[in-house]
Amino acid sequence: MKRAVSRITLGLFVAGLIWFSYFSVSQAYPFNWKVLPRYYKLFLDGLVTTLELSVIALGFAIVVGIVVALARTSHSGFFKDAGTLYVWFFRNMPLLVIILLVYYGFGSAINIDRFWAGVVSLSLFEGAYVGEIFRAGIEAVPAGEIEAGEAMGLYRRQIMFSIIFPQAFRISIPPLIGQLVSLVKDSSLVSVIALGDLTMRARQVGTQTLAVFESYIALALCYLLITSTLSFVGRALERKMVIP
Amino acid sequence: MTENEILSVRGISKSFDDLSVLKGVSFDVKQGDVIAILGPSGAGKTTLLRCINHLITPDGGDILFKGSTVKGDRKSIRSFRARVGFVFQRFNLVSHLRVIDNVALPLVKVLGKKWKEAREIALKQLSQVGLDDKAASFPSQLSGGQQQRVGIARALVMQPDIVLLDEPTSALDPSLVGEVMRVIKRLSSEGRTMVIVTHEVDFARNIATRVLFMKDGSILKDTYPREFFESASSEIRDFLTDLSSIV
Repeated sequence: MKRAVSRITLGLFVAGLIWFSYFSVSQAYPFNWKVLPRYYKLFLDGLVTTLELSVIALGFAIVVGIVVALARTSHSGFFKDAGTLYVWFFRNMPLLVIILLVYYGFGSAINIDRFWAGVVSLSLFEGAYVGEIFRAGIEAVPAGEIEAGEAMGLYRRQIMFSIIFPQAFRISIPPLIGQLVSLVKDSSLVSVIALGDLTMRARQVGTQTLAVFESYIALALCYLLITSTLSFVGRALERKMVIP
Repeated sequence: MTENEILSVRGISKSFDDLSVLKGVSFDVKQGDVIAILGPSGAGKTTLLRCINHLITPDGGDILFKGSTVKGDRKSIRSFRARVGFVFQRFNLVSHLRVIDNVALPLVKVLGKKWKEAREIALKQLSQVGLDDKAASFPSQLSGGQQQRVGIARALVMQPDIVLLDEPTSALDPSLVGEVMRVIKRLSSEGRTMVIVTHEVDFARNIATRVLFMKDGSILKDTYPREFFESASSEIRDFLTDLSSIV
């Protein structure tokens, strides 16, 4: 009950803040929402591109992440170092710089499509983070359970597939959902290479209609909608996969 | 060597860095033996047990299984382990698998049985430890005593020639020790060959056919329970006094 009251209070406060900001801005900036619906197709097109890009990049990022996690948890010093090097590089490099390097750098040497340049950049970048998530998952599997596998006579490969991976995967789901949300948000950076994602389409609509603020407000709401849906679905999946 | 000898431990040694934990330990296990390994903590009891099935690789010495040396390659170790049950102090059940699948897992992965058949065998094994009604539970839904009984069922389902138990009741609430002890007692009455590292003097006195007393990485005494508890050796007397003073 107390919680409900505080929530209502917060809601009213935020609504008031938004209304006040909107009112203040509208004194100097004439909002014109009527033009936006005519451009909904562009928004929709951008939305589809952003989702496509995110889903494909997530797929590749998971593949990259598995390789990185296996390398970093392997017994070979060479693979361990290689994995560490990879993570070091891509976690210390701004995504925007990676996109520029891939599209304008490698793109000037070999012909590379914008969309795939975006996919490659995002996959390489997010792969480093996903790899760390998987590594933490693998390392969180209790050593005693691995020993139990050894003691019953399982081969290393059997221990990995029957004991380590199923648990590491479950442990990884919550942070993986968080990373997917990040990926969707990060994907807005591909608009700099004129890849027609949601952000670039919103900029286009803004320049064409001169309703810049309106376009960006719509853009912000779109991202909130996508990421909140993902988090919601993620939590449902998490509840389903949890080990009692 | 007698013909019914199951396991022979010959001069096993192990050091961790500069610390010599096992100093050439030897003993034999015959069919039907129930050997209790007693001794103060830090004596090397658990290390010895883990060296036997190569969970820890010994620095020196040999393990003979039914008269032939267990070689150090993966394949030999694996087939040896498949014949040796191991029960852990902290149970070590696989947490994402249901109880029945925990017991069925070695049948499927080591013996190559189908899950359906393996589960049928596992269920029978579970009823032997009185837990067939918990088959569909996950390990975390069980009490410590129940988890350990599942651990015992998992070790037995492979029909091992010998079962090694590493302080099977030490991690349990005192009120849960009894149910696990009863299961182990029944195994001994069925003639199972067992080596058990334990702090339960009662167990050593009533179930064991032999007692090994370890201290500082060596076996000081290899004897029968009655002789052990009547021993005049000051080390054994001190050890037993310490144990009773804790309780």
